[in-house]
Amino acid sequence: MTKILGILAALIFFSAGNTWAQDDISPSRKQAIDSLALEKVRDLSKYISIVGNKDTPWSEANRVIERTLELFADGALMGVSSLSREEVNYYGVREYLERLMALNYDKVNISWYKIQYISDLERQPDGRYVGVITIYQRFEGTTKEGLRYVDVTKKDITVYVERKTTQISGRIIGFWDVLLGDIRVSETKPG
Amino acid sequence: MLLVLLPLLGPAQAFNSLLGDESILNAQTKQVNQFFRRFNGEENARGDRYYPSDKDYRSPELRRKYLNGLFDQQNASMTDPMRDSFTKDVLSSGNPQFLNFHGGQWFAEVTTRFLYQGKDENITLFMKLEQEKLGYKWVISSVYFKHFHLMFNNNQESGSHFLHPLSHELDFMNLVRVFKDKEYVDLYTEKEYQPDYLTLFLYEFKKGNLRFKNVSKVKFHFFQINGWYFELSEFNRPGSNSGWLISGLMKIDENQKELLLKYILHE
Repeated sequence: MTKILGILAALIFFSAGNTWAQDDISPSRKQAIDSLALEKVRDLSKYISIVGNKDTPWSEANRVIERTLELFADGALMGVSSLSREEVNYYGVREYLERLMALNYDKVNISWYKIQYISDLERQPDGRYVGVITIYQRFEGTTKEGLRYVDVTKKDITVYVERKTTQISGRIIGFWDVLLGDIRVSETKPG
Repeated sequence: MLLVLLPLLGPAQAFNSLLGDESILNAQTKQVNQFFRRFNGEENARGDRYYPSDKDYRSPELRRKYLNGLFDQQNASMTDPMRDSFTKDVLSSGNPQFLNFHGGQWFAEVTTRFLYQGKDENITLFMKLEQEKLGYKWVISSVYFKHFHLMFNNNQESGSHFLHPLSHELDFMNLVRVFKDKEYVDLYTEKEYQPDYLTLFLYEFKKGNLRFKNVSKVKFHFFQINGWYFELSEFNRPGSNSGWLISGLMKIDENQKELLLKYILHE
């Protein structure tokens, strides 16, 4: 359902005035694509908060995980690093969310900063465009004993933008589809 | 996700001590893309992109404001006069200089961890942007691995290690001597011979002798500004002078540029 709504939104954004070169992205088109991409990132943020929340019933969390996966291109990875070690751990999106769901806290609060940064779109050899959206998350987990764990992570989210076509009432209409890709999650130093 | 055990802090206190206010985040150079845009004066304070039709697009005032904040302020080797001289050259009214993402003359130095012979080892990959079909991609152009260099990096004179000029008359039977000792085998190669470490790296990887673990550090080297070299690194630290910043700056001429390139690439 989310996918259908997304496509419809994209059609509304992009079907009007189809006079620009198919391969170029004008500034106004870029802004519209940015909005669409940000909408997906906001969905992702919302889903992460729901999955991480200890009050979310298990069945609901699993349903949200399925919806989260619909936002991503196949095979997307989360590369997670922290300040305390040099290693980067790589997880599939499902695994990352399941680990978040299983964290051993009595209470979890995930919030998002208003800051976001959207890169330019660059074209890759297969013709798709790629961009990166950076957002910041604050995680707070409290154990039964009342001890609090807090971290702030920067999330650099890959965004793939692809020109697609669909047929509506016999007419072929072009639209831009947006999918999320790999995410680099890095802990940030206190500000 | 790092789990730092904090004693009981009030919510506001924890919030501020961890990240401060959002204006600091806004000031940080959050992506390399943002470094390019700020360097060129192509975005506003909120990070929204300027286009050529916008009034402030690439305006010298905007660029001057951004450039001051794009240096690592904690690096004493980049003196004020040096930074001023660089800024002056970049903003020269007759010939302002801009960074070009697709303009070449910049590349990435990526420190990676591989498992090699049962031990974690650092391997440096040098990567550059390359055009293919409809777009661009990052490719590995060179590699540095200390074990490879230790094995091949000996520029000694051949001394007694050579095949005499009539060896052909004996069907090169003296090759038996060449391959008796691993240490001197390089001395029997032509003088132009240079080991190809990238091929060696790929060979070892394909043989299963190298297993990728992770990327531990990324930095960039820029040679796009005439007469200058600078290095770009990410600083994950408190305060607004953080994110992607110029971590090294050097005034160089063309000859020095070649030398510096060789030094960076361990050639």
